[in-house]
Amino acid sequence: MTASISTAGPTGSTGSTGSTARRPRRRRQRSTVLSVLVWALALYFLLPLVWLAIASTKDTGDLFSTFGLWFGDSFALWDNIQGVFTYKDGIFGRWALNTLLYAGVSAVGASFLATMAGYGFAKYGFRGSNLMFSIVLGAIMIPLTALALPTYLLFSSAGLTNTVWAIIVPSLVSPFGVFLMRVYSADAVPDSLLEAARVDGAGEFRTFFQVSLRLLVPGFITVLLFALVATWNNYFLPLIMLNSSDLYPLTVGLAQMQSASTSGGGGEVLFSTVITGSFISIVPLIVAFLFLQRYWQSGLSAGSVKG
Amino acid sequence: MALAGTAAAFSFIATGCSAGDDGGTGEESAAPEVSTDAFDEAMSTPTKLTFWTWVPDIENQVALFEQAYPEIDVTVENVGQGLEHYQKLRSAIESGEGAPDVAQIEYQYIPSFTLTDSLLDLTPYGAADLGGDYVEWVWNQVAVNDGVWAIPQDTGPMGNLYRTDILKEAGYDEAPATYDEYAEAAKQVKEKTGAYISNLAANEPTQLVALLWQAGLEPFGYDGAETVTIDVNSDGAKDVVQYWQDLAQADLVSTDAGWTDNWFQNIANGNYAGWLVPAWGPIFLQGTAESTSGLWAAAPLPQWDAANPVSGNWGGSSDAVLASTENPIAAYELARWINAEPEPTMMFAQEQFLFPAALSVLEDPAFTDAEVEFFGGQQVNKIFAEISATVNPEFQWLPFMEFAYSSYNETVGVALEKKGDAVGALDDWQQQLVDYATEQGFTVQ
Repeated sequence: MTASISTAGPTGSTGSTGSTARRPRRRRQRSTVLSVLVWALALYFLLPLVWLAIASTKDTGDLFSTFGLWFGDSFALWDNIQGVFTYKDGIFGRWALNTLLYAGVSAVGASFLATMAGYGFAKYGFRGSNLMFSIVLGAIMIPLTALALPTYLLFSSAGLTNTVWAIIVPSLVSPFGVFLMRVYSADAVPDSLLEAARVDGAGEFRTFFQVSLRLLVPGFITVLLFALVATWNNYFLPLIMLNSSDLYPLTVGLAQMQSASTSGGGGEVLFSTVITGSFISIVPLIVAFLFLQRYWQSGLSAGSVKG
Repeated sequence: MALAGTAAAFSFIATGCSAGDDGGTGEESAAPEVSTDAFDEAMSTPTKLTFWTWVPDIENQVALFEQAYPEIDVTVENVGQGLEHYQKLRSAIESGEGAPDVAQIEYQYIPSFTLTDSLLDLTPYGAADLGGDYVEWVWNQVAVNDGVWAIPQDTGPMGNLYRTDILKEAGYDEAPATYDEYAEAAKQVKEKTGAYISNLAANEPTQLVALLWQAGLEPFGYDGAETVTIDVNSDGAKDVVQYWQDLAQADLVSTDAGWTDNWFQNIANGNYAGWLVPAWGPIFLQGTAESTSGLWAAAPLPQWDAANPVSGNWGGSSDAVLASTENPIAAYELARWINAEPEPTMMFAQEQFLFPAALSVLEDPAFTDAEVEFFGGQQVNKIFAEISATVNPEFQWLPFMEFAYSSYNETVGVALEKKGDAVGALDDWQQQLVDYATEQGFTVQ
């Protein structure tokens, strides 16, 4: 559901920055075609979100008897929110904390590892670096979903299934982040600066942590957001790894609530709860994006101007 | 009270059916029968059990069980529902680690687990004596191929839920009793109200299979070893599908995909005047079509032969003990206790609204006499309890129903959805099933 947000951001902003930069600001040309296109795209990506926001104010009866994109007869948002947080003694809160833990730890860990690796590839020449980088590039092409089952078997033989590590460890690897950080650090950290640091007697680690890392922050945040969204929305990996509902993240928990609603025998009708829960579950992501937006934009565009 | 009853059930059981031929999976039937002493010891030793099920609030029944046996500690885990649950179960069984002691399994998937010898034969633990406590056809679902593989929990005998107001507008005070009348009523309903008399969901193989079941057909069979019977394109099956195809092609019955937003809306808005649905349908409707409360009524399915009312089953599940359990006695007792003792079974029926498999509940006025406001005060449980007694007792499954269902969707389902040649598609379905079975090394009869 939330995947649309992550794709809408970058594609909108990268292409245009280079060409408009040189023109005087006041005489910026407006292209009707482009405006219409952007509006159409915005509408396309926002409509499901609008639907979700409106649907979360309806009770189950209204959900199936009133028009989807406008409010129903009842305004049940508060009841729904209450329903979400009281379902099974508030297990939704537990799921939310799990998601926060998995996404937070994985995102910070993944972006840190990716930054170090990308920086290493960009700034150090070593034997086999091209081969290794090709392998990383190749790994971008393999979706995490395809690796989920082999990962499951590996974790199972290590006795790590149904633990938090089963989610966090695989999510620490971000080939795309490595790629991005290599490109980014090649430009953002001038070689002359590194030489200066070495001349001043700083070791390689000190140079990285005290000099380079600061210059890499925008790129770091970009990878952080990517990894955050990827882990936040990850469904398949936790689905196969976890068995205890106490460990579920929001994605799996909500899907389970959803399937409980459509089950025949003993089904509980939880549609409005599931929908409101989905809505609540994406709010933190939206907030994270709004707050980190400036880093994120400068991170992406810096690469595109110089590269 | 419960303790005494259980101990009695365990005392030296002579199993009726384990002697003669055993179907290749009968390793357990050679195991010694469980004595009262062994039972008492097992139930008074501190034991941890894991129970995978997706029944909501089943913790309540399990809590009762733990009260009765304070030494047994049960962890209930909901690992998903339906196919997700089975996939996890299979991967846990295959990886040899993390499988539960007791697991919920729907009747049609039991053979897929006995195929891999993953379920414990409950006969030596006294399960054979439970047969009389359940409706005959339900017991036949769990007691197959010389073993008892699970304890029945709930069922879904098929009935007809319909909108009294719409049928009245079309000139009917009661639900059509036969399929001929049903077809005629479909025409009247469409002409006078614009509604479809019901929807045969094109993506819901289980509904059509239940209708085949009602027609007395036996499309599937499995001997517990390597031989399967596949007969989905028999003349009987073709007659049933032809009937629905004619209605669909005349636009008197819709074939919309089930469980979609559109489908829910059509139910709530009265575009479907009815639903041929199992006993779990009434509670389902009350949640999703609240605004139509009081307008519904329940009736048996239309009949092919009015003199001889029959029905089929759609849904319901059982609790099985996995062969890998280290505590078979306690695990069996958990599966039995919650599904056989009066208190938990009545609780399933009245709080979780599972339609019971146990005769004690089906015959209890506290269950059958409940009047349901949503159905205009009708005693809906009584109607379905009567229907349950008419379900055809012989119906078996293939050990690969997952494939059978998805193959159905690709053949018959697509044809129904397009209102095309669903009867012809039965031949394709048959062919796909036979090919698949042969490929998997089964002998097809």
